[in-house]
Amino acid sequence: MKIAVVIRHVPDLIEPLEVDSTGKAFDLSSAAFVLNESDDHALEQALLLKEKHGGSVTVLSIDFGDVDNSLYAAAAKGADQILKLLWDDPNRSPSPQQAARMYAEVLRSQGPDLVLVGVQAPDELDGVLSAELAVCLGWPYVGVVRGVQAADGQSLLVCKEFPGAVMAQYEVRLPAVLGILGAEQPPRYVPVSRIRAAMKSTQIAEQEAAVPAEAARVEVDQLYPPAPAERAEMLTGSPEQVANRIAALLEEKGLLR
Amino acid sequence: MPFARPLMWNVPPAAELILYLMIPVVLVLIVWGIVWRVRKWSIGQPEPGLGSLGGYVARLLRTGRLGEWIRTALFQGRLSRDPFALTMHLAIFWGMVVLFLGTAAATIDQDIAHLIFGWQILRGGLYQVFELALDLFGVVLLVGLALAGYRRVVQRPARLAAPSRPVSFWDSFPFLQLLALIAITGFLVEGLRLAQGFQLEALVRQTQTAQKDQGASPRPAQSPAEQIPLAKSSHSPTPSDQPTDKPIWRTRWEAMAGGHLHEEHQQAEMARIAGGGPVFPAAGWAPVGWLVGKLFQNASFEALQTWHRLLWWTHALLAFVFLIAIPWTKAFHLISSPVNLFLRASRPVGRLPVAAPAGVAQLRDFTWQQLMQIDSCTWCGRCQEVCPGHQCHFPLSPRDFVHAVDGLLLRTPVRRASSTEAEDNHGPAGTGSARASASAAGALASTAEQTGSAGRDGSATDAGAPGFPHSASQAAPAAKILPKLHGQTIPADVLWSCCTCRACEDICPVGIEHPRAIVDMRRHLVDQGQVDENLQEALMNLQRYGNSFGQSPRKRTEGLQKAGLPVKDARKEEVEFLWFLGDYAAYDPRVLEATQAMARLFSLAGVSVGFLMDKEQNAGNDVRRVGEEGLFEMLRDKNLQALATARFQAIVTTDPHSYNTLKNEYPYGGNGEAEGNGSPSDTAPTAQTKETSEEQSPLAGKPIFHAVELLDRWIAEGRLPIRRRLEDLTVTYHDPCYLGRYNGIYDPPRRVLAALGVRLLEMPRSRENSFCCGAGGGRIWMKDMPGIQVRPAEKRIHEALQLPGVQVLVVACPKDLVMFQDAVKTTGAEARLKIMDISQLVLQAVTPEENPPPT
Repeated sequence: MKIAVVIRHVPDLIEPLEVDSTGKAFDLSSAAFVLNESDDHALEQALLLKEKHGGSVTVLSIDFGDVDNSLYAAAAKGADQILKLLWDDPNRSPSPQQAARMYAEVLRSQGPDLVLVGVQAPDELDGVLSAELAVCLGWPYVGVVRGVQAADGQSLLVCKEFPGAVMAQYEVRLPAVLGILGAEQPPRYVPVSRIRAAMKSTQIAEQEAAVPAEAARVEVDQLYPPAPAERAEMLTGSPEQVANRIAALLEEKGLLR
Repeated sequence: MPFARPLMWNVPPAAELILYLMIPVVLVLIVWGIVWRVRKWSIGQPEPGLGSLGGYVARLLRTGRLGEWIRTALFQGRLSRDPFALTMHLAIFWGMVVLFLGTAAATIDQDIAHLIFGWQILRGGLYQVFELALDLFGVVLLVGLALAGYRRVVQRPARLAAPSRPVSFWDSFPFLQLLALIAITGFLVEGLRLAQGFQLEALVRQTQTAQKDQGASPRPAQSPAEQIPLAKSSHSPTPSDQPTDKPIWRTRWEAMAGGHLHEEHQQAEMARIAGGGPVFPAAGWAPVGWLVGKLFQNASFEALQTWHRLLWWTHALLAFVFLIAIPWTKAFHLISSPVNLFLRASRPVGRLPVAAPAGVAQLRDFTWQQLMQIDSCTWCGRCQEVCPGHQCHFPLSPRDFVHAVDGLLLRTPVRRASSTEAEDNHGPAGTGSARASASAAGALASTAEQTGSAGRDGSATDAGAPGFPHSASQAAPAAKILPKLHGQTIPADVLWSCCTCRACEDICPVGIEHPRAIVDMRRHLVDQGQVDENLQEALMNLQRYGNSFGQSPRKRTEGLQKAGLPVKDARKEEVEFLWFLGDYAAYDPRVLEATQAMARLFSLAGVSVGFLMDKEQNAGNDVRRVGEEGLFEMLRDKNLQALATARFQAIVTTDPHSYNTLKNEYPYGGNGEAEGNGSPSDTAPTAQTKETSEEQSPLAGKPIFHAVELLDRWIAEGRLPIRRRLEDLTVTYHDPCYLGRYNGIYDPPRRVLAALGVRLLEMPRSRENSFCCGAGGGRIWMKDMPGIQVRPAEKRIHEALQLPGVQVLVVACPKDLVMFQDAVKTTGAEARLKIMDISQLVLQAVTPEENPPPT
């Protein structure tokens, strides 16, 4: 089975994000980037499928936010090919719609049986990319997937999670796109020495991607941090004072006996 | 006239010949055994940093480590913490050494001096001393064996309980019994010989009396004791029989001693004995033999002769068996331990040698020196007794770990088997290939299994695991398939149980470095991605942010800044001390107070302190000991880069873990011997360290201190005057592993506490016997071991609580603060025992009463 995995680097939320001067975007000039968590799971799921059923794993990403590190880490974990899509502005991430078209173009020429994408990212909790990608490719799509098994050569058994811990099993004909929420196992640890070895032994394949013109269907009007509502009481003071205040509040509300 | 040692009494020349013909056989078996062992070691990798043997010996002599070797190897100084064992072992060892040397001297006396040169060395006074020495040391040996018997049979400490799986048939070799039999038969042989002498002397006296009776002068009657019939009547001619013929004593003497002596010596001896001289002139110098002789002097001469000969053979054969057993049993430590102690690395104990990041996947990946160490174990179990993991029922016993690896080693063929092992084991490191990652996934799956099923004793207890093929039914089909090192021989849980506290290594009488072997094996687990999820999170955080807390690097100094303390950027302005904070001192809210106290003390002492700010990364001590060598290198290199941009005279840290790796594992004028560490009295950079390649290391010539060393110095110098003595405070002090056992800093904290005026009570386990809090070696990042009943830190709290009136457990390590604060809560002792960093106490004492610091 030929599996392609799309990964993204997203801003690391460990540092507070600042809105830039336009008021419509984040200032990412000093941000650090990390691999999107559900993409990490998509990669793990791909590796598990390959280990179980054979095949190959290609990992691809648009060149944004020092993604090289994660591509090398993917190679160290066992990806066969790592591919970076170059585009005109590596300081800006494309919109999910743009990204889907760019990935679709490359994937059409690659011809994988299965495409795995993290179902959400901090900047798109509604999971646009994976679904949009399926639309562009014209392939079947299941999102919020928590487990994938190969049924036979032509189809997969896929577990999709619904609220309330309800799981549904789908049979999906290949080729298909899956939006992964979690792999069957937590993503594996890859030691630094293996990543370093991969940097020496593996080349990142680069490919120019034509940036599709943005069909501006939706635009950001304004970005701003939420203002504390008036009913909120901010507790201040030493940890002890705060703890005492919390205990007092809980007692007050009748939550402590 | 001078007398000499009698030669081969009652031993016919043929017997002597047979004995000598056996010697080559014995030697072959011994040499075979030694070669067998050494070839097993030879499957290991080269030992880094050992250099040539000649250079090593030269270095040894130059650094005065020879004296240390004599102390530890010849006088078993590493047992000094256990005086009973030391006495026992010295008695057995030196008893055997003297007896062996005596036997060798006797052989030289007889077969070189007498046989070739017709002269004897052991004569006169020297012979008497020889007899006395051998008798005394024979007793010493028996006393030692009795002590050993008492310990093994009466005391029966758990550590001496037989390991669950024998290494080999030779395991059960009754070693002490054999030595005891050798000593006892030796005394019996000597006693029976002397008894024969006593009888012959009586005969001489009877002959003389008879002669005198025949002549003129009548003599008083002999005492009844001397009239006892000496042999059966038919063989015992009366003294008056054939007076002109050879007297009976003469015939007997010749029968017993003849054939070995040159003619002239024989004549001289005869004359001496005929003149009333003793048959064995040194009999009185062998008190034990003499007593045994007196005990048996009334037996029949024939019986004495028969039994003497029988026991002589027994003694000789047992001695041969012992010699042969040396290389084939754990008696081999007689050879391997001194060699191991001799080769013991000259590197500081806090420095792990450079090793491949992929670690030890199979036995052959250990260095030969590690294999030798493992092979010199005597299963004394001291390591197990002091191991915090074992005491808390983690699935680790250092003894059983070594024992299991040794068992595998002795089964492993020296030549690499083309079949099973090489294929079964994971491929070489760093292939990054599909195959390697496939095995990684398999490994991941098996971790989960092991976590559930690893047994209490560190063995794979689940029925599915093949384990050791020691029972016949298992051995038959699986004869060629050896168990794997990882998993079957050493389950992952065993490796993860280690706190790297070094208690085992420190107490090991034969110098085995257990933590090093465990870390080497952990590296393989990490290489295969087999880490528990908490540890994985910590390692990912360290990869991303340089701290295990997953906090922003910018927040490292936030705790100090928020308290309004000055935080200088050592990259922007020059400072006296660069304070390397470490993770816990910086990020853990429970440690913040201690960190702030230390910062105030720096200001009070009037020294300038700076930081690497957000460029400081975890120093990597525990990352390395978890087995993530690549990450350690990455963190180290980032720190070195940051340090190169800073201007400072010395480094200080409150964290013993950072201290250890910065001091011992960061390049300081090379990875060789140069320590670059001045004594605490010279802060100024010293030039002596620029020896080797790493001269441009930003640490070259920069001393590194643990904060407690500076507190000690500043209090002594009066830079931190004590304004109120804390005299009504009773405290105890916990030696952090990485400060104490790893770096020998025991006295500075105690001097500080003495200066503060507190009453210091020592816990039963203090200084080098200190008991780990359970945080070391990355354990602080991992989940609790399955099946534990009590955590090491909780055990330690109980220990402290047993001291009468102790109010405070003083620590000098941020991780200790965290561990013990938790443990004092989980043990419900929060009201009785306070956990404080030593800096907090010092701050109290140097602050005037009127404005006490916040506590």
